[in-house]
Amino acid sequence: MSARRIRAITRRLLEGFRRDRRTLALLFVAPIVILGLLGYLLRGSSTVPSVGIANEDTGPLGVIVADALRHSSHIKTTDIASADGDASLKDGSLVAYIVLPSNFSQQAQSGTVAPEVHLEGSQPGEDAPVIQALQQALISLASQVAGRGISFQPQVTYLYGGATYDTLDYFGAAFIGLVVFFLVFVITIVSFLNERTQGTLERLMASPLRRGEIVVGYMLGFTVLALVQSIEVLVFALAVLRIHNQGNVLLIFGMEALMAIAAVNLGIFLSMFARSEFQAVQFIPLVVVPQVLLSGIIFPVSSEPAPLQWLSDVLPLTYAVNGMRDIMVKGADLTAPSLLLDAGVVLGFVVVLIAAGTATLRRRVA
Amino acid sequence: MSDAFAVDVDGVSRSFGTFKALDGVTVRVRRGEIYGLLGPNGAGKSTLIRTICGLLEANAGTVTVLGTRMPNVPVLGHIGYMTQQAALYPQLSVQENIEFFAAINGAEAGVRQALDLVQLWERRGSVVSTLSGGQRQRLSLACALVHHPDLLLLDEPTVGIDPQLRVQFWDYFRNLAAAGTTIVVSSHVMDEADRCQRLGLIQYGRLLAEGTPTEIRQQGGSQNLEEAFLNLAGRRVES
Repeated sequence: MSARRIRAITRRLLEGFRRDRRTLALLFVAPIVILGLLGYLLRGSSTVPSVGIANEDTGPLGVIVADALRHSSHIKTTDIASADGDASLKDGSLVAYIVLPSNFSQQAQSGTVAPEVHLEGSQPGEDAPVIQALQQALISLASQVAGRGISFQPQVTYLYGGATYDTLDYFGAAFIGLVVFFLVFVITIVSFLNERTQGTLERLMASPLRRGEIVVGYMLGFTVLALVQSIEVLVFALAVLRIHNQGNVLLIFGMEALMAIAAVNLGIFLSMFARSEFQAVQFIPLVVVPQVLLSGIIFPVSSEPAPLQWLSDVLPLTYAVNGMRDIMVKGADLTAPSLLLDAGVVLGFVVVLIAAGTATLRRRVA
Repeated sequence: MSDAFAVDVDGVSRSFGTFKALDGVTVRVRRGEIYGLLGPNGAGKSTLIRTICGLLEANAGTVTVLGTRMPNVPVLGHIGYMTQQAALYPQLSVQENIEFFAAINGAEAGVRQALDLVQLWERRGSVVSTLSGGQRQRLSLACALVHHPDLLLLDEPTVGIDPQLRVQFWDYFRNLAAAGTTIVVSSHVMDEADRCQRLGLIQYGRLLAEGTPTEIRQQGGSQNLEEAFLNLAGRRVES
């Protein structure tokens, strides 16, 4: 081992980085951006679920429980009529509602209360604070009903999912799309860059090919691969992992395909801004990580701090993920306006990216 | 402008930032001739060739190719362009490469003939990454002429290939020109210059001299073409 020779290698490496400003920026800026985003997301999020309370008790005790629920730190409450509950779950304004039945006071006197807990159910873990708040509220009841313990038997129903619905079911729907999006993006950006570095793109540009033909040809080629991959991922997710699915398999496939086509075009477009494969790979943390954090895959967009919600609203992956969950968790079909909006926005991104890729092609060939 | 010229470059300038790669260059190439662009590395030969086929736009002046003002996409179907590096797809076979370039030019029928010309038909199943440098260069040439272009632009086609193959290349070029193809070929190797019908000497982005090899010798005052070129270049620097 020669210290001199080793030093020569170390030095050569650092000298190279000094001239590659972009890599340096990535190395020192990206961690701050990613960690900062994560911190803001986690600390700034309002994770207290909105719960509706419908007190139908004709006796005196329902009021006490409802009041205790209103003061709970675990949930944020609004008073609703039980008939409106399901609609509020569907439009996302509530994650749960509690109905105290008309004979609630009588139930308490007899020792067993059975309030109804209706959960939206698409996000696992949201039932816990609701049940917890309800249990604490019932403690205040015990002091009113002297001399006997009250057993608590909530009647839990789920709008979506169900008792067996788990974390994998929630993340799975989003990840099916994400896996395809991510891999297709990486393959496209590197291949298109190869075309540039090996000189063949220049040759294509000196042929009668139109720019749009190059972009669309690329898109179709990668889409073939991406669709095969989508089928594989889908079969594995549904048949092997048995991820919860309420929707039409063809719709899931269609949404996956849209995400794949968006990824292909994003790859082509961004390859215009990379001079080497090294620089292309750098787009992964810059493009993919913030989207993963902000598209609602892990943290629901509705719980993000407001400025981040605005950002989430312009990211294509937000709509794609939402669409996948609409189909798989909620069983949405093409009559659902929310799914049509999601698919429409992703499609819009595809069109914009095709245009952008075509427009930047000539400029960067030289 | 006359249609007798396959290439008509008129007062073309092209800068990259503050660097003037081409500075008022005028070059006219007659149909069916072999025109050599000569000059040292960095003289502006590649820039001129890329401007001729419309990959670069001129900042000033006009480029007319086969009677059409450049840049123009349809006319590119009549131009064959061989880049300096053998621009091929390394994971594809010889045949797959040339079939691709034939297809984008709508000339699938020419594959066999082009591969025969560069003597690669027997190797058509080989993957390009397994070929030697010379074989790749030959394939690159075949890809440039598979569609029988009227104008062939060759950017240093013989760089890095052995003398034997170089002689072979020039045989190809002569046969093509005899069949009516106009060829513009750049080189910094002087012994190739004598094989051209006319030469343009380029340095610092300017055309120093133009003429047949004999005329260049006279202008440069030397029987040795290399010396004549150096004399012309020196005179220009002094003036």
